[in-house]
Amino acid sequence: MSGDYSPGDKVRVIVTHPPGHRRTPFYIRGKTGVIERRCGAFPNPEELAYGFDGLPRKTLYRVRFNQKEVWSNYEGPAVDTVDVDIFEHWLKPA
Amino acid sequence: MSTADEPGRGYHDIGGLDYGAVDPVATDMKPWERLSTAISNALGGAGRNYYVTDETRRTREQMGEPLYSDLDYYERSTQSMKMILVEKDYFTEVELEARMKIIEKRMAEARG
Amino acid sequence: MAEERGTHDHDHDRTFQPDIEDLEPSRYELMTYAMRELLIEKGHVTDEEIRKCQDKLESIEPAQGSRVIAKAWIDAAFKQRLLDDGNAALAELGVDPGSARMTVVENTDQVQNVVVCTLCSCYPRAVLGMPPDWYRSKAYRSRVVIEPRAVLKEFGTDVPDDVTVRVHDSLADLRYLVIPKRPAGTDNWSEDQLAAIVSRDNMVGVTNPHT
Repeated sequence: MSGDYSPGDKVRVIVTHPPGHRRTPFYIRGKTGVIERRCGAFPNPEELAYGFDGLPRKTLYRVRFNQKEVWSNYEGPAVDTVDVDIFEHWLKPA
Repeated sequence: MSTADEPGRGYHDIGGLDYGAVDPVATDMKPWERLSTAISNALGGAGRNYYVTDETRRTREQMGEPLYSDLDYYERSTQSMKMILVEKDYFTEVELEARMKIIEKRMAEARG
Repeated sequence: MAEERGTHDHDHDRTFQPDIEDLEPSRYELMTYAMRELLIEKGHVTDEEIRKCQDKLESIEPAQGSRVIAKAWIDAAFKQRLLDDGNAALAELGVDPGSARMTVVENTDQVQNVVVCTLCSCYPRAVLGMPPDWYRSKAYRSRVVIEPRAVLKEFGTDVPDDVTVRVHDSLADLRYLVIPKRPAGTDNWSEDQLAAIVSRDNMVGVTNPHT
């Protein structure tokens, strides 16, 4: 279900709005970016929030997005980016 | 937990919204705010793990509006810590409110 | 800021006296005192342990981070170690980041880094102390991801259009520390002199140091 990404891979954040504790913010869902780095594997915060152990660990990625692609009304220059730390299960290849 | 316009957005999930100009002010923690933070840190120290940060993030997202917007940061932290400790049965709301009344009376008497 | 304390016996401390000069305590101040008493009475934590945590909170200041930046400016190999593995490099200076995965990013002629946590207020507390009011504000959390340059202007910071403004939304286990650009004209400065011009706001990325 989740891919194994490398820096430079294009990825898209899936669009879903599940109830409960999520750490993928609303504004980035559905947006396309590039893997900037693989950050390692961590227990899943969505499970830790309810007293579970969050295992098995999930891979965390830093994903870089162009601001002009994230916001239709972005006022700054095209070189600006937003980097968001996103877990593997929220990403699909783009 | 979310607005009618954007049903998928929790009230805490505010990236991209507009809450006005930033006031670049930094104030010192009040003593009780430091105490509240210290209690939280103590409960997580020395191999204890009474709760993890993810759990209080979650209770912060569960306290509802208008509480989330009415309270300031340390009040929200205190409220979310209270919520997780009550959830895990370390004390009850009734016990807590009763003790708060006792302390309030004690402090009023001390003020004379 | 001083807290008056009553005497206490060995079993529990119920005579903790908060600052008597305070006006009526707020609901959450009372809640804090009540939680403290109940938790101690029920044996979940001791007064000593809480006080140790209070002392530790008071001891962590941004100056700790400033010293890291000053060393990074002077010692290129140390800077590279910081960028490669923040926790290991900080340990060299006796800085303990706790459970955070410290991720250090560098401002250059091409990039201005700015850090936020839009969902709550995640912040490198173990290195810089508690986050300032503005960092925790809904105004900052909401707007810096969508209009970072306007927010930076509110701090008096202007970034040219050919420099990338890179916002980091730190929502997971990584905590970010920004190495600001070393100002011109500081070539012969000592580490102490350099550390003195690095502020907390510089290390979050909303302002840049100057001489």
